[in-house]
Amino acid sequence: MDTHAFASLAQVKILLVPVGTIPQSTFNKYAEELRSFDAIRLGDIPADNKDERARFMPNPLSTGYLHLSFPTHPPPFSHLPLSLLRPSNFPLAVIGLAACSKTDSLPSVLAEFNAALLDIFPAGGMYPLAKNCFVFEEGEGNTNVNLGDNVPGLVVIPSMMGNKKLYIGTLLADLCSHVLGEFGTLVQGLESPAGNEHLNSALMPMLPPPDLAQPVDNGRKRDSLPPLPNHNGQPEMKGFNLASTPNLKRNSSSASTFRQSTLSVPPTKKRLSSIGVASSHGRLFKVLGDFFLLAGRTEDAAVWYNEALLLFRSSSDAVWQAATLEGMATVSIIDAWSAGQGLNTSTSSSRGAWNDVFDKLSQAINLYQRFPGGDGEHNYSLLAYLYSCAVLRQASLLFSIWSAKGWGPVAFGTMLQPGPTPYLPPTLSHEGLTSWANLERLSSLSGIPRASISAVLAQVHGPWLLHLGPRERISILESTASLYACLGYRRKEAYILREVLGCILDLIVCGREEDGFSRLSSVPLPSGLGIQGPSSSQRGNVGVRFSENIDGNESVLRLLKYVCKVLGINLDAVRLLETSDADITEVQSAPASVEDDVATEFMEPYGWPELQVGVVREAVAVAEALPDYLAVAQFALSSLKTLQAVLAPGDQYHLYATSNRALMTAHRRGDSKSVEYWSGKPLVSINLLPLPLVRLPIEKPLSALQTRSSDIAPILTGGTDPFLYNPRRALGQGKSLVVQNELLDFVLVLRNPYIFDLEIQSLSLSTSGVVFDSKPVRVVLPAGSLHVVTLSGKATETGSLVVRGCLVQAPGGTKREFTLPVTTGEEEERISRKRAALECEVGRSKYSGLDCFPWEKASKRSSTQLTVSTTKPPLRFLEYAVVPEQPLLRIRRTSVTHGAVMMYNGEMSTIRLTLENVSPLPIDFLRLAFDDSTIASAQQALATGDLSVFDTYETEYDLLHRPLFAWNKEDGKDIPPGQKLTVNVNCYGKVGCTTGTIHVSYSYVHRSTTSLDPSPQVFHTRQLSYPVMVTVYHMLECQGMDILPFPSVPSELDEEQGEPDEHYLGNEAGWCLFSVEVRNTYGLPFEVSFERVQQGGARGTTSTTVSPGSTSRMVIPIKKFILSEAHLSRPIPTLSDRQFVVTKSKLSKVQERAQRELFWYREELFKRLRGRWREAGGTRSGDLSLRQQRMTLPMLETLRTETASIAMSLHRRESSGNIPVTLTGGKYHPPSSEFVYLRTKVTNLSLTSLVFTVDFDCQSSPHVIFEGLLRDVPIGRLESGESREVETGLCFLAYGRFEILAEAKIVGATESKGTGRLTAMVRAEE
Amino acid sequence: MSHHLFLLSPSDTPLYSLTHHSSKPVPNVSSPLSSNLPNWSTSAFAGTLTALSGASSSAHQTSSGTVRMGGGQDRHVIQMIANASLDVIEDIMKSQSTMFLKSVDKFNEWTVSAFITPGNMKFVLLHEGKNDDGIRAFFTDVWELYVKTMLNPFHTAHTPIRSTIFDTRVRSSAKKHL
Repeated sequence: MDTHAFASLAQVKILLVPVGTIPQSTFNKYAEELRSFDAIRLGDIPADNKDERARFMPNPLSTGYLHLSFPTHPPPFSHLPLSLLRPSNFPLAVIGLAACSKTDSLPSVLAEFNAALLDIFPAGGMYPLAKNCFVFEEGEGNTNVNLGDNVPGLVVIPSMMGNKKLYIGTLLADLCSHVLGEFGTLVQGLESPAGNEHLNSALMPMLPPPDLAQPVDNGRKRDSLPPLPNHNGQPEMKGFNLASTPNLKRNSSSASTFRQSTLSVPPTKKRLSSIGVASSHGRLFKVLGDFFLLAGRTEDAAVWYNEALLLFRSSSDAVWQAATLEGMATVSIIDAWSAGQGLNTSTSSSRGAWNDVFDKLSQAINLYQRFPGGDGEHNYSLLAYLYSCAVLRQASLLFSIWSAKGWGPVAFGTMLQPGPTPYLPPTLSHEGLTSWANLERLSSLSGIPRASISAVLAQVHGPWLLHLGPRERISILESTASLYACLGYRRKEAYILREVLGCILDLIVCGREEDGFSRLSSVPLPSGLGIQGPSSSQRGNVGVRFSENIDGNESVLRLLKYVCKVLGINLDAVRLLETSDADITEVQSAPASVEDDVATEFMEPYGWPELQVGVVREAVAVAEALPDYLAVAQFALSSLKTLQAVLAPGDQYHLYATSNRALMTAHRRGDSKSVEYWSGKPLVSINLLPLPLVRLPIEKPLSALQTRSSDIAPILTGGTDPFLYNPRRALGQGKSLVVQNELLDFVLVLRNPYIFDLEIQSLSLSTSGVVFDSKPVRVVLPAGSLHVVTLSGKATETGSLVVRGCLVQAPGGTKREFTLPVTTGEEEERISRKRAALECEVGRSKYSGLDCFPWEKASKRSSTQLTVSTTKPPLRFLEYAVVPEQPLLRIRRTSVTHGAVMMYNGEMSTIRLTLENVSPLPIDFLRLAFDDSTIASAQQALATGDLSVFDTYETEYDLLHRPLFAWNKEDGKDIPPGQKLTVNVNCYGKVGCTTGTIHVSYSYVHRSTTSLDPSPQVFHTRQLSYPVMVTVYHMLECQGMDILPFPSVPSELDEEQGEPDEHYLGNEAGWCLFSVEVRNTYGLPFEVSFERVQQGGARGTTSTTVSPGSTSRMVIPIKKFILSEAHLSRPIPTLSDRQFVVTKSKLSKVQERAQRELFWYREELFKRLRGRWREAGGTRSGDLSLRQQRMTLPMLETLRTETASIAMSLHRRESSGNIPVTLTGGKYHPPSSEFVYLRTKVTNLSLTSLVFTVDFDCQSSPHVIFEGLLRDVPIGRLESGESREVETGLCFLAYGRFEILAEAKIVGATESKGTGRLTAMVRAEE
Repeated sequence: MSHHLFLLSPSDTPLYSLTHHSSKPVPNVSSPLSSNLPNWSTSAFAGTLTALSGASSSAHQTSSGTVRMGGGQDRHVIQMIANASLDVIEDIMKSQSTMFLKSVDKFNEWTVSAFITPGNMKFVLLHEGKNDDGIRAFFTDVWELYVKTMLNPFHTAHTPIRSTIFDTRVRSSAKKHL
């Protein structure tokens, strides 16, 4: 559009107008061709020497140039008042460009051209001064071409013409000649007194069309009025003289000086004298200067400018003075250019060369700025325009010198012919824009710091910009922004660009609101336009959609993005993706690495939050106003993503709502693009909801089905593993098992950091491996919280199921996968190292300002610790093994009410479980296992190993032989689908037990497999657990067990017992008494009985009823027994065959033996005795355990059969033989003072042959006479079971009771191995 | 006459900002060009333009409250100007080693003076009049206060300064020097 070239004052503008149906590309092509003529040598211009028209014509030998520019846009009508003040602002000539084909007729083209001109130029204007229409012939052999030659004002350029360029050059020169001639005519009109008065009548005078403009229009035959002769042929105008002729001498170097002095100056002088003195001629001289400048005659221009300045100095005509100064500045540059033409290299950095120009421009700027004000409203806008142009002129002066590395031809060239990219000089390439060093180099070379250029440029910016019309404003702001950009002042550029955007958008919105109904909610309505509300409602509720013109939207958005980027907001943070291929690409994309998360965690704030928020809001509003809905969504979401920390809640909510609305609209309108998922990483964790125990499959090796021969009861060892590290055990736990075709619930924890509810349109699991059948769900994450979502699905195949993460799709967006890898230790370390490095870096800034944009940070980092290793280890994810379908069993009913069992201690009862197979698969494997509350503690006690051998045995015995539950393995049968099975479980009441559990393991092992599959090494079971609450009442308590000798037979007993030979036969048969106290601690009476179970069927029972709270002592005789040495020498066994048992006892051999004896005899005793109880008057009965009781050494001695038994009897020796002394009540009644014989029979009861001696002891020995030895009476060796008798004679010398004891001993030992006792009552004869 | 002080971190984030109104009269330097401005408010975007160009119109009202832009003394514009002046400040501080850059930039009616600490913090002051000595003294005071704040081990170069003591002292220094 409008460029603000420095030398625009010296450029003849030739407007290019498309005529007829010329395509834009063709037009551009020809316009480009024309633009290559940026200057025409004055010598090439044909002179027209007709009186006044010859005035501005160049000397045939002059060396100057006529500078041309070819705009394609006419100036706005509002600039008309400038037509005399600034003639260079207007197109002095017009060229119509037409492309002609066979069908077009040339007169119609001409008509069109003229119509277009009438459209472009209002009737009141005095420009253009010349016009022509170039018709370019298209195609070959056009017949119309010949016709065209006859049409005036139209030039046909045949397509086959050889040197087209030369021809066009000639045409242009002709046109310029015409323009110069018109200058003369124009000036002639102004030189008249009336013209001068008119010139001075207002600040910005305009030639009124009826009088002065008339002759101008004459040539173009715009209207048919005849020319007014009184202005045309003024004789005074010929005589012109200038007071300051000597000034010309300064410029005498030029060849044209002579001609000028002779031709133009004298008439001026003459005219001056003749014109009325009402107004000064300053303005007239200035106009003359302008025209000479345009005509390329700088010397003349300088002369006239100086004259004008002299006059202005006295009168105060600030604006015209400023304009003159600008003209003078241009003159110097043109002169410098023409002087330097040809030598390209010489540059100077001295300020002196251009200081004069600079000062002149500064003066002009000052004058414009100080001007107290215009008379009309129009003047403000024009003044502001002139001011801004002057500032830009000064800035571009500095800029050109700066960018050209100094004052030299390059700088002049830039100022004169800026070319298509006026603000990108050749010294600054595109890449150079960002390099500070490059820019600084230019500054030091040219001696102009960039800050000074910026300081000059900053003057253009001010409230006066509001005076300008939109077109001028945009063009001035654009130029300003470009200059800032080239200086590398990107923030300033952004500032100006915001204003540019404001202008453009204002125009867009206002332009649109004229129709009144395509209005957006967020574009606020100006208050004055309220009338349109009702008018739009008249249209009813019919939605009218216009196809919008989206040309230029792209560029506006690009500007927006640029502005935001400078302020540190990446509006492209959320990308737009094509919907069609989005699904495919997203799945393929590499999973986001964990590093990104870490990196974002340590993101430093960048930029100015308040500005960022403001700019973002504006960006969204702009995009909404265009409207570009996708861009709205992209901007809103990008800012939400990047500025989340600084956005106020209201803003966040607004942006989110806006984006949603925009996406919906875009979707409705069928946009093929959509935004990617934007809200960070929402996924926090994924977990498989643990399967209910009933459904959990347990992997077992198939070998477990075969029974093993040596089976250590696992119950004793418990679940403890003796190895701290057991690789085999860890192996099995690597993968969680899930079952095919059964519902799996995954628990996802999602995070929403925003203050609004985040809607996720579709959330699904991202899996690989086996097919996982699940449906995506729609979730709304509550604001600022973690949200738990359960996703369920089925794996339809067996194999490995890998859960990579989840797929998330926001409404209107595309799907995105978020993975959640399982980090290995190595990975963890790497991440933590990275985190540490970043943490160390936080708060330190190496780069500042625009060099430290957050998105550039990673690329600038040179720390080796943070470099991403190229070889990434493969990520590991959650993995599950899917096992084949499993049957499912359930407990249909049980015989237990309320899940509780109440038992007495030692009671046996039965629980009946009814199991039902509710799956379509049969069950061919069923095992029951049990657990109760006593097991764990016992196992723990065993495991610690602190127990004595004896206690260990007791505990183990308890575990093995008296479990709480037991079942009959024969009950386990196949259960076909849908069938039931009843299993009996025996219960044993055990004090201290509170709970118990019945575990039912089942499986379908022998399933039919396809032949292709290798037979599986494992099978899977499922477990069904049935907890039972157990209450065991401890009602009977045994205590104080004792074993007593059975010394003598009381006569009462003798009589009671019917079978004396089987029963209590004194100590001869080796009986003893077992007694234990039974206490009833319960509230009911119990009948307690002890039964003797001895070999040979000799049974005996004793029973009693123990009433509540009382204690009864139960006594039962037991036959003594002896255990063989081999039996006794066995160590106390451990039932578990535990290894690693180290005997800790430090007992001596004897003590150990004693312990063993105690143990084995106790075991034997408990085998022979069975205690039972029965509820009095009830049916419940059970065992009474004696295991709590301990055996002591005396008890053992009593229980054990003696090694030797001694039977003693008294005999009298008569002539007839031996007569036994009468025996009554176990006492002998021998006569006194008479010899009797004591017969002692020693029997070896032990299992080996021994040598015995017998010691006698008579307690009243003084009254007994013995015959023979009393001590160590030899018996001799007796084999096992053999007996021998010895006879000792004795005589009782007194009446009374005598006790004779005999002790059998083994030779060499001192302890007695058996005792005998005999009681004799010696009485007087009755 | 008002002053606007911004303490900017190396990443251009303001850590502290202060608006100080001194009793001194505003030198009237405005050009006649900026008088008699047209009051055309056709859209919100024109409001943006009005504000950014420095026209001191009254606060611009928006209907839906989406874009809130104010007049010439609008905070947003002040901040934009301060931010834009960083271009010149950065440029100059690379070639000069002085800490105090007086009147380094001018934009609209504002003159920008800056002070650069060795830690690359930038103190930017927007002022209207010319008061070089006062501004230099003020900057020195602020620097000292800032250094004292930075002595806090929990304070990094990016932590906003919220200390009330800092605030009161800066204010009193501003009252004294500006």
